[in-house]
Amino acid sequence: MNQAVISCLHANLPAVEAVLKDIELQGITNITCLGDLVGYGPQPNEVIELIRDKKIPTCQGCWDEDVVDGLDACDCSYPSQLAEKRGHFAHQWTTDKLTKENKDYLANLPYSIRKDKCLFVHGSPNSQHEYLLPDMDAFAALERVENARAEILFCGHTHQPYIRELADGSIAVKIKNAVPKDTQEKEIQLPMRRIVNAGSVGEPRHGGTKATYVVHNDVTNKVKIREVEYDIELTCKAIIDAGLPPIFAWRLKNGFEFAEQAEDASHVCER
Amino acid sequence: MIERWALVSGLKGDLDTYELIQKDLKKTPGNITLFVLGDMIGPEKNCNRLLHRLINPKSNDLQPWCIYGWWEEQILLESGYRGDQRAEALRINKGEEVVKSLNNAVDKSFLDWIAALQFGFVELDCGLIHGSSKDVGENLTLDTPPLTLLDRLTRLQVNRLFTARSKQQFHLELTEGIVNSEVEDLNGNRKKEQKVPQKAVIGIGAGKNYTLYDVGTDNTQFVQAGYKTEKRIKGFGRL
Ligand SMILES: [Zn+2]
Ligand SMILES: [Zn+2]
Repeated sequence: MNQAVISCLHANLPAVEAVLKDIELQGITNITCLGDLVGYGPQPNEVIELIRDKKIPTCQGCWDEDVVDGLDACDCSYPSQLAEKRGHFAHQWTTDKLTKENKDYLANLPYSIRKDKCLFVHGSPNSQHEYLLPDMDAFAALERVENARAEILFCGHTHQPYIRELADGSIAVKIKNAVPKDTQEKEIQLPMRRIVNAGSVGEPRHGGTKATYVVHNDVTNKVKIREVEYDIELTCKAIIDAGLPPIFAWRLKNGFEFAEQAEDASHVCER
Repeated sequence: MIERWALVSGLKGDLDTYELIQKDLKKTPGNITLFVLGDMIGPEKNCNRLLHRLINPKSNDLQPWCIYGWWEEQILLESGYRGDQRAEALRINKGEEVVKSLNNAVDKSFLDWIAALQFGFVELDCGLIHGSSKDVGENLTLDTPPLTLLDRLTRLQVNRLFTARSKQQFHLELTEGIVNSEVEDLNGNRKKEQKVPQKAVIGIGAGKNYTLYDVGTDNTQFVQAGYKTEKRIKGFGRL
């Protein structure tokens, strides 16, 4: 059976509607959302209500957490001071706009969702704010999946979709300076694991402008990245009308903004 | 001259043991740096004399370089140095009595000094911490999965990690690691074989059990404070 995984909707209603339509056209009813329903975009309440309406199981994203708990994320969430300033503005705007009911909904979202061998999180099993980038240290990546006791880890947060397979791993260890003196050596085989990043529905940063999400088939175990066109102009107009920073509209129209790429994505948020 | 590190932890207010270690180190050849990797305090005994000595070393003491450990974290939590949080894990696991004993064991005047201690040191390509680079309370032992050990090394970007929390003494080398990574994204596929160079995690022990590390040869020596003296007096063989 096919399941769809969506992430980082970021209050972009036209994009969410287009993606849900694309999922429906494929006859997929099993959908999981990895959070960041709000932030940057102009329709936070509308997007939350649509997800609630469709009863789509959702994890809490970094924005969902911060909008509820206040901005206590460590600086690692923002790649630059300018991005941080704009982010804070969008945070305040979103906090003001959200209804009490929708805030409560975000506050009560689970940190992770587990279905059999699949674990769904927003950033990483460690934190909603940790980036699992496609080329991060392979052992560290494998550790995230293994310690979460999953075979496939679905994540978002980087806004760049990818599928990463970590296979044929081993680590050799040796006990030095042992009592009794004989040194012990062994080789540990590492299991094959996968990390699947669903990309972003409402705030793509993969170089193009299309919304992305992934489809996983639990029989063949294949994962496909889907790209979906949506009415970008409609979202851009709503961003301007709402008085949000025009650069939010600019980057949706142009695909990505270098300044928004995380500089030190290996940084582990310790807060 | 040989450069050696002496790695000590878990003194928990025991000034006698600290003095024994200082005495040992005076007789140990080489240029020695003394690191105290946390748990200078604990609920069992009054810690003020030890803390005073660490802060104000005697003229012939080796200067101790201290970081905070799990017990320091508990008292900082309990004393409001970590925001609204309190030492709930301690309270639940050991009870209110132990929280009280800990508070009584340390004079309030030492709290600012404790609060200014670092989480760890990075010296050369070595990380010196109390628990792990993930958490001051994390136990790293011989039984910790190698993948976890590797992750804790990677977080600090070091090749050797000295840890104290488990109280155990061990020297575990990760001699070789390999994993194949294949990434598929919107730009296509890329494959990479990743290897790790030799790395190690070293448990330094606690209390009387401490570790000497020879920086030049990468050799460890697990020592018991005052052992040689005891042997002479009581005639014990190597335990
Ligand atoms: Zn996001
Ligand atoms: Zn996020």
